[in-house]
Parts: sequence; structure tokens; C-alpha cells
Amino acid sequence: MSFISRSRHVLAAAVVAAVVPLSAAVAFEPTNPECIAPANPGGGWDFTCRQAGKALYDLKLVPQPIQVSNMTGGSGGVAFAHIVSKRNDDDNVIVAASSATSTRLAQGAFPGMNKDQVNWLGSVGADYGVIAVSKDSPIKTLPELMDKIKADPTSISVAGGSAVGGWDHLKVLNTARKAGIENLRQIKYVPFEGGGEAVTQLLGGHVQAFSGDISEAKGFVDSGDIKVLAVLAPERLPGEFGKFPTATEQGIPAVGANWRGFYGPGGMSDEAQKYWADSLRTMYDSPEWQKIMENNGLMPLKLYGDEFEAFVAEQIKDTEDLSREIGLIK
Amino acid sequence: MDVLSSLMDGFAVALTWQNLGLALLGCFLGTIIGAMPGLGPSNGVAILIPLAFTLGLPATPAIILLTSVYYGAMYGGRISSILLNIPGDEPALMTTLDGYPMAQQGKAGEALALSGLASFVGAFFATWGLVFLAPLLVKVALLFGPAEYFALFVLAFATLGGIASRNQSKAAFAAALGLGIAMVGVDHQTGMPRYTFDNIHLYDGIDFLVAIVGLFAVSEVFIFLEHRGEGVGGKTGPVGRITVPFAMIKQTAGTMGRSTVLGFIAGVLPGAGASLGSFIAYTVEKRLVDRKGTFGKGDPRGVAAPEAGNNAAAGGALVPMLALGVPGSGTTAVLLAMLLALNITPGPLLFQNNPDVVWGLIAALFIGNLMLLAMNIPLVGLFVRVLQVPPRILMPAVAMISAVGIYGISGSTFDLLVMVGFGVLGWVLRKLDVPLVPVILGVLLGNLMEANLRRALTISNGEWSILWGSWLAIGLWTISIVGFVLPIFVGRYIRFTRPAGMKDTAGLEGEDPD
Amino acid sequence: MTSDRVFGLVGLALAGFYVWQATQIELGFSSDPLGPRSFPIIIGGVMALASVYPLVRPDPRPDWPAAGRLLEIALAVAVLVAYALALPQVGFVLATAVAAAILSWRLGSRPLGAVLAGIGISVGIYVVFHLILGLSLARGPWGF
Repeated sequence: MSFISRSRHVLAAAVVAAVVPLSAAVAFEPTNPECIAPANPGGGWDFTCRQAGKALYDLKLVPQPIQVSNMTGGSGGVAFAHIVSKRNDDDNVIVAASSATSTRLAQGAFPGMNKDQVNWLGSVGADYGVIAVSKDSPIKTLPELMDKIKADPTSISVAGGSAVGGWDHLKVLNTARKAGIENLRQIKYVPFEGGGEAVTQLLGGHVQAFSGDISEAKGFVDSGDIKVLAVLAPERLPGEFGKFPTATEQGIPAVGANWRGFYGPGGMSDEAQKYWADSLRTMYDSPEWQKIMENNGLMPLKLYGDEFEAFVAEQIKDTEDLSREIGLIK
Repeated sequence: MDVLSSLMDGFAVALTWQNLGLALLGCFLGTIIGAMPGLGPSNGVAILIPLAFTLGLPATPAIILLTSVYYGAMYGGRISSILLNIPGDEPALMTTLDGYPMAQQGKAGEALALSGLASFVGAFFATWGLVFLAPLLVKVALLFGPAEYFALFVLAFATLGGIASRNQSKAAFAAALGLGIAMVGVDHQTGMPRYTFDNIHLYDGIDFLVAIVGLFAVSEVFIFLEHRGEGVGGKTGPVGRITVPFAMIKQTAGTMGRSTVLGFIAGVLPGAGASLGSFIAYTVEKRLVDRKGTFGKGDPRGVAAPEAGNNAAAGGALVPMLALGVPGSGTTAVLLAMLLALNITPGPLLFQNNPDVVWGLIAALFIGNLMLLAMNIPLVGLFVRVLQVPPRILMPAVAMISAVGIYGISGSTFDLLVMVGFGVLGWVLRKLDVPLVPVILGVLLGNLMEANLRRALTISNGEWSILWGSWLAIGLWTISIVGFVLPIFVGRYIRFTRPAGMKDTAGLEGEDPD
Repeated sequence: MTSDRVFGLVGLALAGFYVWQATQIELGFSSDPLGPRSFPIIIGGVMALASVYPLVRPDPRPDWPAAGRLLEIALAVAVLVAYALALPQVGFVLATAVAAAILSWRLGSRPLGAVLAGIGISVGIYVVFHLILGLSLARGPWGF
């Protein structure tokens, strides 16, 4: 996917922008700030809200603790509709979002809604995709796996934590496409409830490969139970993750990052918009947040305001193209 | 021994005044949360995470607080099951079946005390299981692929025959209804909406908590309205003694033991969880020991079985969470998120990398469990006072607490309306003598059952033989068929061979096998 | 006709509707052999089979309440529906107090007692669930 190359370009711009003093930040201050997690407690969105909410308050970027509300339904669609229809000019509310949000927007899964109805405020990090096999697997490299799928698609079942058409599935399809496999429909993808369950199935020998995020795989890689064939990043990741080969260096230029961030109501005032974007940026740079990112396997992705909006737009477009090409949407 | 010395280190970590205080606080809050309809262990833990953050707790004390809430909620769920016929959370569902009849017979105190003891036994031995068997059990959990899970869920439904007191066809209808409700929402395998009627609120399906609160709590309010002034529902009778007679402990000892084992195993399997643990413990126990047809009419063993089962399952669910980093239930998913937030990477290396956290946690489980026993037995006298609150105040409070449980978690008016709809449905079904438990079981397991069937067939390229492709799967199918399905059809024949004088109320219906 | 016969007929109709709806589910990008329709159709089949039995051998008629009591239940349903709809508009404390008071009144409290019960229940829940446990309850125009 091409968005990554662009995002790195914008990222540099964002870093420069961060140096500019936050002079206008005093113009707006939220009262009773609220963060909506569009899922039940315990999920990724809930986690984003609670972690960022806590960090923002600890850093004194918000005057009061941020109240986290859970608004379940429609895989995030209910919260999206709520913001668009009922809270359109509320300056005090932000909503957690991720690649899952943009994927659903791209596939038209929020009926009658599109990304322009809300304000994309900023990102807080990204989680790169991995493709892995169990430690006993005869398959050693990503091209080997792809050749096996090409020769006999029924021989390989790939497990992932998202639904068919969801992020983990798209990563497999995109990688296969970049590897020159034509009949993408033949690839056997088996969806499980979350990446952890999918890894367990890999360990139990019930499936042959796993598609997930690096944070889900980390514990099992450290213990030697699974083998990462490729990480779907543009280049090798920093730190201990640097030992994994990228798909690109194996001749398959596939990239996929699960970003995490926030959006706000479309009618939010300019001051509030700037306030939230600046606050998220300041939070991102704090040692506290850097530590949270490290603990959770989050990689750098730092985009705010218009740049973030452009990034989301591009990601939606890429997902839409891919989904159309493989027949997920008409 | 290695394990024991690690455990001793764990106690050294857990036994500080601060940690003991946190455990006590967690046990208390958990018990209250568990007793509230609509708030179960997973929501309880999730809503208390901010408290742990607010107090600025480091990893070990925070996890001690939250696991105490978890165990406390597992204890607390039974209270409203027994006193009000309303399960406080989904694992306490089965406790209504014999707990409420006991309360109606004026034995509420005994039922509460016994269930407290059974909870302790289940949780206590499950924690030992966690200490000694975790690595072994992880290997067992890995044996369960989609085909084996499907066979396990079939087994759960096969045991349903034991639930219906009178009419098997109505139990089957109830199960189909629950499964049908579970199908609502976006299909996970294809992303296509099913039975959503283009309503975005239905895309994520119907939350089982909404169903459980509507079917049990709201319909109970309607029952009271219907019988207002007749003295039927409004029983403020004697609550009986508030301790367990020794004879009752003796009578239920075997039940507790078997149910602990079954519940623990069910808990270890990711996805099955505490509800399945209590369900299987109850139905298996009924099949094994219910010779006089007293289950469902206030048999103490019918109270001990699900409570030992669900608390053992709560301990079991910690095995895959700690050893694999895979949550076995909604609650462990929340605990896992909490561990991640505290800079602890879950997974196979957790025992090596963070022994203080793991063993401190396990020690805290022992401590919390003892506290809960010590807290729950004397509190029985307080709990039964609930029965002395007149229904005209108690029932509105129940209705409103149910609504808060739903609205406070999901923030959705739509869910509240669905809850009221389930209330009406529950009232009609009760009138028609259609059991409610299979409906909930269907809603809880429907998606898992379908998903695993479809996963299995995807892996096998459409070959149905994968469903009995392993010894484990064949074993599960055999238990279903020989243990539960065949008896329904040969039941009447066997009945002739029973000694005369054995009362069989079901036989009066003429058709009903067991 | 006995209640069980009506139940059986409704069950059959429901099963029929369910299966018909199942056949309308779009197949989409189906990568699994069973597809999204099969399992619901099986469920509909079980439901239909289970509905036949009460038609053939109905249980004795349950005691349905008299019309007045049915009206009471209908009123309670109306109160709860109105409560759900009003909650986001008027806030938790007011909506809950009113709904609880009406229910308490219909369950046999005197009017004054019902009002007190309503206020007590509402404030009690607000304190325990919002102030102590920190659940976010509906915030009305007055902030509670």
C-alpha cells in the first residue's frame, strides 16, 4: 500500500511542526472532556481512550480527568453516527479510531456515512502487520509460503483475528497480490476472535499460518513458539524488532500498519480542533507515552490535523481499491 | 519443590497491609457488582480499571485489586439468583434453577451459605490446579481446534434435555430461539449483515447481557405486577437458618468435587468460559445423581454444582491468560488489557519474565478466596434481608438497576428498548412454561458454535469428516450421544425397569422422557 | 384453541420467516464452504420441528391474567419504553426517579411513598454507580 511512503514524508513535516510553540493552545480549554470508545470495555479502542485519557490528564493537558464512555454497536458505526447526528458541534468529545474504522468506512459498512463528516484529530502510534508460521513448519520464508499457496491454495489455512474483509485478512490478500497470486478468492482465511486465539490455533497445528499485528505475536516469538516470516513494514523496525525481515526485502513489496488515533465532531470549532491536535502531539512526545508505545509494541506514527486527515483519506482509498479488486465490495 | 517455593515468594509479595486492604476492597466491590443484574465480572473489572489508575497502583497491587473484583463478582452473582430468581451475571444463570426454589421453601439462608461454600471449594481447588497443572493444561487447550470446539458445543446443547422439567420440545424451541437471536448481526466470516433489517444498532448483534437482564429481571417485574396483592410473588416469608447444616455439606461434597473438575476444564478452554463451566457442571450432575427428579425443585446439589463449577472455571480461565496470553473469557480479556497497560507482556514467557507478578497474583487469589469465604458466610444474614424489602420498592429498584447495567456499559437507548422487548418475551415464555435457560445458552454459544463449524469446514475444504477427525472429537460426540441423546429416546423403556415407588413427575405428562 | 396451539402456530410462522430471511442473506465474498445461510436455516428447521409438538399435544392452558392486569403490564412496558427514550434528553436522575415512582405506585405503594421510593432509588443508584463506580450515566441538561 502506498500510504506508508507518503506518511513517512508527512511524518517529517509533522516533526518540524512540533517544534513550533503551542501559542494558541490557551484559547480553548475543554469542560467535562469525554472520550468515546466505540466498543465494550477491554478492546483496543477502549484501551486507546483510557490510556490516552490518563496520559493527557497526568500531563495536565486537560483540566479535568477525561470521562471514558463506551458506545458499542455497528463495529464503531453507532458511535460514528452518534457524533455526526447528535454531537456535531461538541468541542469536548473525542472518539478512538484505528485501521478498523477506516477499513469499515472504505467498505461502506457505516451506511450513509463518510470520513468527511468528522474531524480527524491525530494519531498516537501504529502496529505493523506480521505473517508467521509455527516453529516446526517446513516453511522458512515468505516467498516459500506464497509459492505453496500458489501451487495449492487448499493446503494452507491462514488464521487471523479479524473478520473476513477485515484488517488481518486484507494483509494476507494484499501480500498475496503483491506476490503475484491471481486467484485471491481461493486463499483460505480462517477468522478467530482476536489475534491471541488465532496464534493458539497455529500452535495447536490446526492452521498453517497466522496474520496479525506485531504486538500480538511478540510473546510467542520471544518464547520461540512461532517464526515470523515477514513484517509488513517499509523497512526494518527499530530495536529488538529489527531481527524480522520485511516482506519488501524478500521481493514482495507489501506494507500494512494498524494505526491508532482519534477523531472529533465535524462541527468542532477551529480552536478546539487545534487544541486537541496540539494536546495529542504534546502527549505523543512525552516520555510517558513513549513508554506506553514501547510496552505495547506501537511503532512511530505521528500525524495531526490536516496531515492526519490526508493520511486517513489515502488509507480509505487504498482499502477501497483493494476491496473492490478482490470482490469484497462492488 | 520449585513451584511451592515460587508460591511462597508470591505470598511474600502479596502479604502486605496495602495489598490485603486492596484485596478486601476488591472482594467487597466485586461481590456487590456481581449481585447487580447486568453487571458481571467482565464489566466489573473494566469499570474499576480507572480506580486502579487513580490510586496510582503499581502492577502487582493493581492486578491483586482487579482479580479480587473478578473472584468477588463470581461469588456475588449467586446472591440475586437465589433471592430474586434473577442471575446477577451470566455464570450464575444455572444457580437460579435450584437456588430460587430453595429460597421459596424458606431456605434462602441455607442456599446462600451452601453456594458460598461451593464457590470457595471451586475457586480454591481451581487455584491449586492453576499452580500445578497450568503447563499441562495449556497442552490440552491446544488440542482444541475448531472441530473439537464444535463437538463441545454440541455436547452442551445435548445436555439441555436435562434442563426442561416437562416438555423437551419447548426446551428445543427455546434453544433454537436463542441460537436464532445469536445470528443477528454482521456475519464474521463474510461481513454480510444478517437479520439486521438495515438497522445499524443490530450490526454487532444482540448482547447476551441485554437478553439475560430482559428475560429474567424485567420479566420478573411483570410477574409481580400480574400477581400484585395475591401474595404469590411477594414472599417475605422466613429465610431459615443462615448456615449450612453438616448433613447438607456431606450430601453435596461429591457434587462439589466433580463440578470443580468439570468447571475448571471448561474454564481452561479459550472461548468456553465460566458460563459453560456452570452449565455442564449442573447438567452432568443432574444426569449422575438426580435419581428422584428433585433437581429444579430446590435440591441443594443443584445449587452446589453450578457455583463450584463457575468459580472453578474462573480459576481455569486464568490458565490460558497467564500461560498463553490468550483470554479465555470476557473478564480475562479485560485483565489482559490491564496487564499490557502495566508493562507486562503476557504470553508464554510471563512466568519466567515476571514471576513476582504471576505468583503474587496466584497468592492473592488464595487470599481473596479466603476473604470471600469469611466475608460471605456472615453476610448471608444481611443478604437475606433483601427478601424483607417489600416488592413495591424492590422491583422498581431491580428494573432501574438492570437499565443502568445496560445503559452504563453500552450507552445505548436502543439496547434499553431491546431489553424491554426481552422482558415481554420472557414473561410470555414463562407463562407458556418454555424454559429460559436454553435461550440464554443459545445466545451465548450460537456464534461460537457456527463460527467453529465454518472454520472447521474451511480448513477441511468442505469435508464434514473433519468434525470427527480426532480422538478428542470422537470422545465428545460419544458422550453427547450415549450420555444425553440416547436416554431421551430410550428413557421411557428404562423407566419401566425402575423400581416401583420411585416418583417420576415427568412421567405424568405421558411423553416426557426425563 | 389452547395457548400451546397458538404458540405452535406462532413458532411455525417464526421459523418460516426465519428461514425465508436466511435465504435472502447476501453471500458476498464467501471464502467458506458452508456460507452465511446454512446455519440459520438449520436453526429454523429445529424451531419448526419443536413447534409441531405443542400443536399436536398441547400442555394445559396457563392462567392468563385478566384484562385489567394485562393493562398494568402494558403500562409498565410503556413506562420503560418512555424511560429509555427520555433518558438521554432529561438525564439519569429525573428519568429514573419518575419511572421508578410510577412502577412503585403500580406495584402497590401509596402515591407519596411511591414518589419517595422513586427519588430514593434514583439517587441511590446515581451515588453507587456514577459517583462510586464511575459509570457514565446519561447526563441531562442539569449535568445529572
